Amino acid sequence: MEDTRYLFRRNRTWWVKVSVPKALRDELGYDLRCSLHTESLDEARKARDVAVPEFRRRIREARASLQQTRACKEPAMADDESGFLILRREDFSDVTFLLEVEAPLLARAAEPGQFVIVILHEFGERIPLTIADFDRDKGTVTLVIQAVGKSSCEMQQRCRVGTHLHALVGPMGFPSELHADKVVCVGGGLGVAPIYPQLRAFKESGAYVIGVVGFRNKELIFWQDKFEQYCDELIICTDDGSAGIEGRVTLGLQAALDRHADIDHVIAIGPPIMMKACAETTRPYGVETIVSMNPIMVDGTGMCGGCRVTVGGEIKFACVDGPEFDAHKVDFDELMNRLGRYRGDEKAALDNWKKAAS
Amino acid sequence: MARKTVRTIPQDRATMPTQAPAVRAHNFDEVALGFDLDNALLESERCLLCPNPNCVPACPVNIDIPGFIEKISEKKYREAYDILTESTLLPAICGRVCPQEDQCEGVCPVGESLEPVAIGRLERWIGDMAIKEGWRNIPPIQANSFRIGIVGSGPAGMACAADMAKAGCDVTIYEAFHQAGGVLRYGIPEFRLPNEVLDAELENLKALGVKIECNTLVGRLFTIEQMLDELGFDAVFIGTGAGYPSFMGIDGESLNGVLSANELLTRCNLMGATSFPRYDTPLGLGKRVAVIGSGNTAMDALRVSLRAGAEEVYCLYRRTREESPARVEELEHAEEEGIRFEWLTAPVEILDDGNKNVRALRCQRMELGEPDDSGRRRPIPVAGSEYEFEVDTVVYAIGTNANPIIGQTSKIALNKWGYIEADDNLATSIAGVYAGGDIVTGAATVILAMGTGRKAARSMKTYLGIRDTASVYEETPDSGGDEIFGINPAERSHVRIRVTGTELCQ
Ligand SMILES: Cc1cc2nc3c(=O)[nH]c(=O)nc-3n(C[C@H](O)[C@H](O)[C@H](O)COP(=O)(O)OP(=O)(O)OC[C@H]3O[C@@H](n4cnc5c(N)ncnc54)[C@H](O)[C@@H]3O)c2cc1C
Ligand code: SF4
Ligand code: FES
Repeated sequence: MEDTRYLFRRNRTWWVKVSVPKALRDELGYDLRCSLHTESLDEARKARDVAVPEFRRRIREARASLQQTRACKEPAMADDESGFLILRREDFSDVTFLLEVEAPLLARAAEPGQFVIVILHEFGERIPLTIADFDRDKGTVTLVIQAVGKSSCEMQQRCRVGTHLHALVGPMGFPSELHADKVVCVGGGLGVAPIYPQLRAFKESGAYVIGVVGFRNKELIFWQDKFEQYCDELIICTDDGSAGIEGRVTLGLQAALDRHADIDHVIAIGPPIMMKACAETTRPYGVETIVSMNPIMVDGTGMCGGCRVTVGGEIKFACVDGPEFDAHKVDFDELMNRLGRYRGDEKAALDNWKKAAS
Repeated sequence: MARKTVRTIPQDRATMPTQAPAVRAHNFDEVALGFDLDNALLESERCLLCPNPNCVPACPVNIDIPGFIEKISEKKYREAYDILTESTLLPAICGRVCPQEDQCEGVCPVGESLEPVAIGRLERWIGDMAIKEGWRNIPPIQANSFRIGIVGSGPAGMACAADMAKAGCDVTIYEAFHQAGGVLRYGIPEFRLPNEVLDAELENLKALGVKIECNTLVGRLFTIEQMLDELGFDAVFIGTGAGYPSFMGIDGESLNGVLSANELLTRCNLMGATSFPRYDTPLGLGKRVAVIGSGNTAMDALRVSLRAGAEEVYCLYRRTREESPARVEELEHAEEEGIRFEWLTAPVEILDDGNKNVRALRCQRMELGEPDDSGRRRPIPVAGSEYEFEVDTVVYAIGTNANPIIGQTSKIALNKWGYIEADDNLATSIAGVYAGGDIVTGAATVILAMGTGRKAARSMKTYLGIRDTASVYEETPDSGGDEIFGINPAERSHVRIRVTGTELCQ
């Protein structure tokens, strides 16, 4: 009989296949296989004798690495020497929390509108976060994070006062342009905190500042005192009407536009759907409107092009050409679509992590 | 001994083992496994030791090639290493990634009738031996009080840093990423350049006293001007690389499934996306991948895609194999691994599956016309040749533009393409600020970047009034008996003493 162990044919080309033990199928798939690029059985046998030990080695390695991952479940966070110390944490709700991180140079350089990139631990991804506040005297920057995906949930769980972020780099992007006489600053969802430094800077530059901030309900409101301190008018919107205007931030924005004919600048930060709605609200008024784009990023230094967005028909890299752009020119639908690029992977990662954590 | 001739030397190149294509197409281990001792000695015999060698001037850093090869054949490996390190900081790296066929090996007379001497492989062999044996050539360093800031930790920055540290300066490299190495880290994959090799070279830098500060985005965290005025640097070198990938501007580029080679490679090489979900960064690669372009970046993107699990991987290039700018070895390796090449093909549109994902490419066949300015024959579309080509991932590897961050944040003069303007000595428009590597030349090679880093260091030394590097190798008469910087004086004879008149790089 002909020796065709591990071999099979597809069209006329020989392939080799080794099945994977059940426990490793998540990682390696049902079997390991590859084309031997030959139609001759003799050649295929020779290639097989190389390929099979290699497949075995990969199975062995996968088993070893699985055992190792089980042994040390948690990837390590940084230590004092290389990491960035978390000095303060505040929880605004079961999903929103604040971290104040020691970074003196960064605090000195940061301007409203800029962002940073954070890596949680040695296996972490690079997460862009808008700078929510900075204190040049204390040498700290403040980040406000919503736990939605795997990385942010893990941050919520692991970032305690006294622990260290693996990496923190920035400030990235152009600072906001702060020329306005009367400005509306709109923040919703994860955009509430980042709108704060802008609103403060506008106030300090002498503008008349109207703040519009949106929350789900009264209980989730945070920083009201901070906002009030720098706003000439503060409009709070809640989804359920438990405080301020009932409804979305666009209602607040609309109210401000109707009340003041001389508004010359609007800035909106939040989920893309909200920014798009704000752009549509101001468009009939012809008021200059700026939004802060938050596409998927990798490096944040212009190197990968993953963050590209279309503005006025042109490709821009949000990390170095932005992050702020003219809201009336941005293609929001494209942004929303591109944000969904890894939805499947992200969900799998979150489920996986939740399973491991429980 | 009579001089060797092409007829008296071993006719065939010594073999260098490689992993079998069918196997390596599924792992990230190094493809080319390097010479063993016997083969290295055999190959070293093939060098004619030309009195006026063609290869030396063809090497961008003018390595004394017959010199080091002769030492190998004499089994004086350490001395071979000393000769290499007179000219190159990174022998283990350059031996792996230099386009030798366009440089030294391309002009070697042996190559007229046989395969040219495998200079790169010999260089690599010595470089690897140095890493294994822990050899380091640290000259006696006389500290001065100058502080040098280097922006970017790619080969240009590393080379400038090494030379300035050897000259006695206090050197700090600032790197935006969380790991050092530039393209050597995030771009070139492990199967071509294992991380251990890069790490070893970075350790050598640290041993020279160079400090490396990662997570530092110069321009935004502090500007070039602030480095000079506030942070107390006496001179600054900018080696921030090209980065900033190009897209073609055809329809469908914003669809999901279209990405730059830089993004693909960074996700895999730097962020560990091939081990997702153990690493948090996803890759999201499809099953049928088309890579557009045929340079080194394209080859890496193709071969990484294959290893990351794509079932069919295609290379689309609007010219032919002959015009492909990739290293020949990379092309051959890619072909052996089963990458399919579609020469004379250019995409004209990326088609949607209805859910904003890539479904297919609309392509066009090309033919070669008259040569253009670069001397390559210009591709012209063949009328009526459009066809659809089903893929789910499209990777652009058609080149890069200048990274804009330094230009955005500094008054430094740029040329019309956004690259930093530098004169023949690599001085920029700001006094004390030098620049080199891809940010000056446009996307080039590791060895050219390294060469410009060294040249900038020479200019910097002139600017600061420091004697040149060559002179720190000079043995001063009174250094006789004592131990200097932990180096045994007997061992110091290994530091080759030779003050060359030739420019290190031109
Ligand atoms: C995928 C790929 C494969 C290649 N293959 C080869 C090959 O086989 N052979 C070959 O010879 N050449 C090859 N090249 C080209 C070669 O890698 C480059 O020419 C070379 O690395 C350029 O070196 P550099 O020092 O100028 O810049 P880079 O290596 O690009 O390094 C620049 C560094 O500066 C950092 N940086 C940028 N901006 C800032 C800032 N504002 N502040 C702080 N840091 C900053 C970047 O993060 C980066 O780490 C390849 C390139 C790529 C992309
Ligand atoms: S490598 Fe080739 S060109 Fe260089 S010395 Fe040897 S034989 Fe001559
Ligand atoms: S995040 Fe990579 S280019 Fe913007």
